[in-house]
Amino acid sequence: MTGCFNFINPLAVTEEPGTTAGDFYTRNFEKKAVPGRIILNLGPQHPSTHGVLRILCEMDGEYIVRCEPVLGYLHRMHEKMGEVKTPWQFIPNMGRVDYLHPLAWTWAFVGACERLAGIEIPERAEYLRVISCELNRISSHLLWWGAFVMDLGGVTPILYAFEEREKINDILQIITGSRLTMSSFRFGGVCTDADERFKSLAKEFIPYLRERLKMYKGLVTDNIILRRRLEGIGPMDADICRRYGATGPILRAAGLARDTRKDFPYSVYHKFDFPVPAGPANDCFGRYLVRLSEIEASLMIVEQALASLPEGSHIMEKAPKANWKLPAGESYMAVEGARGQVAVHVVSDGGPKPYRVKLRAPGFSNLSLFAEAAAGTLLADAIAILGSLDLVIPEVDR
Amino acid sequence: MLKAIWDNIKGLYSLLVGLSITGRYLVSPRKTIHYPRQVVDDEILASFRGPLELTRGRKEPGQTRCISCQMCVRACPGHCLTVIKGDAKAPSRWIYDFSLCCLCGACVEACPAGALAFSHKVYLVATSREELKLDLLADLKARTEKEAPPKNE
Repeated sequence: MTGCFNFINPLAVTEEPGTTAGDFYTRNFEKKAVPGRIILNLGPQHPSTHGVLRILCEMDGEYIVRCEPVLGYLHRMHEKMGEVKTPWQFIPNMGRVDYLHPLAWTWAFVGACERLAGIEIPERAEYLRVISCELNRISSHLLWWGAFVMDLGGVTPILYAFEEREKINDILQIITGSRLTMSSFRFGGVCTDADERFKSLAKEFIPYLRERLKMYKGLVTDNIILRRRLEGIGPMDADICRRYGATGPILRAAGLARDTRKDFPYSVYHKFDFPVPAGPANDCFGRYLVRLSEIEASLMIVEQALASLPEGSHIMEKAPKANWKLPAGESYMAVEGARGQVAVHVVSDGGPKPYRVKLRAPGFSNLSLFAEAAAGTLLADAIAILGSLDLVIPEVDR
Repeated sequence: MLKAIWDNIKGLYSLLVGLSITGRYLVSPRKTIHYPRQVVDDEILASFRGPLELTRGRKEPGQTRCISCQMCVRACPGHCLTVIKGDAKAPSRWIYDFSLCCLCGACVEACPAGALAFSHKVYLVATSREELKLDLLADLKARTEKEAPPKNE
């Protein structure tokens, strides 16, 4: 097993302890160049790496002998920032950790703080959280769908995906106020109540997207070029997923129907009836199908939540303000994000600022699979595997 | 052998299906908005949170409701607000650095007087950071002079 961290220990391979001479390759792969092998740096500015991921590949012809993701190009100290801001002031940060599914992160942090303080939020707020989080998940999967197909060479579908994404953004803008880094959840509720326009737009959107998903199937899923490039590529079984802690669609494509919304129900998810798609295959195409089925599952949740949206207030009375202090103690909240299990662990000593905020990013665990899964594949297949992991590098580096 | 041929025929047909979908898009009307010639509907912008603005006073529309209590300054995570107290309670200067603002709404929710609100300006452009330091009192004055003030608010 060539794990992610076996390589990144400079002391283990340098001759003199404490020195960090040489570059990444000589420190971690080989001391000298091997005849017939070339070193290829994929990224950090390559478009198919979705941000600033650098992958160091040792190539033998078209095949990857070894590869290693090099992280840290987008590290923004979010965990440290949690220690120097009051809990309220840290909420907008959570919208910027993962720009594709910001509401899951906001929910994890807000939920962890609410658990610590023992805050009960109004039922209407719970429903609004579910609706906005699921719509956000759909928009995240839609962008992944477009970007994944673009990685494989088809540029057109991402433009179609953006048509739906803009509609979701219009809907979510009504209750979150922003179109990308939404962080509308507050301690004790959500910031804006849903009006009639929100409800009617969201109700119109559900049948519209179901129609569009049929078009997606004809345009991309059934396409022979896509199927030949994805079927049987990059199999990841349940064993490798367990070893690296992979969650989300990758784990479900491996056949394990694990979903935080079902296994550790939070909020009002236990009231909704929705399937957890566990894929037919554990290759790139299986992960593709799992994400498309998840869009349908999210649509079912949104439909049920809109039909049973209770009346009441969207935020509790005397909701905590910016100078609110967390009570001493610690709490943990895990939320199912678009990429896997998003979790936040908050430790407080009773002061105005949290003592420690630990963010568990699913993308980090999912990316660490890559070195093992991509060894021995063609470079073009490695790009397909990388795309099927649905990476958001800001979330991986935090 | 027969199966391989049949698979290839099915594959070619799947390409035709895709081409027909893109072909339909080619002849359908344009979905995007060409900005300088067209703009987005005001209905969509009504919920957009743009840069902050001071709300009008309840009695005098040209006056701010701000009481210089500094609650917004303390609540702001990005330290983008500067409120300098003038005579009595009214502020003498109200500087808002939009380049540091993350539009979270902490100041709007912290304000006890309801003096702050989000505007719906989406076309704000600046060529330097200095230009993004907005003087909100001047902005309020300009808005009052420009529009006929509402009689009862």
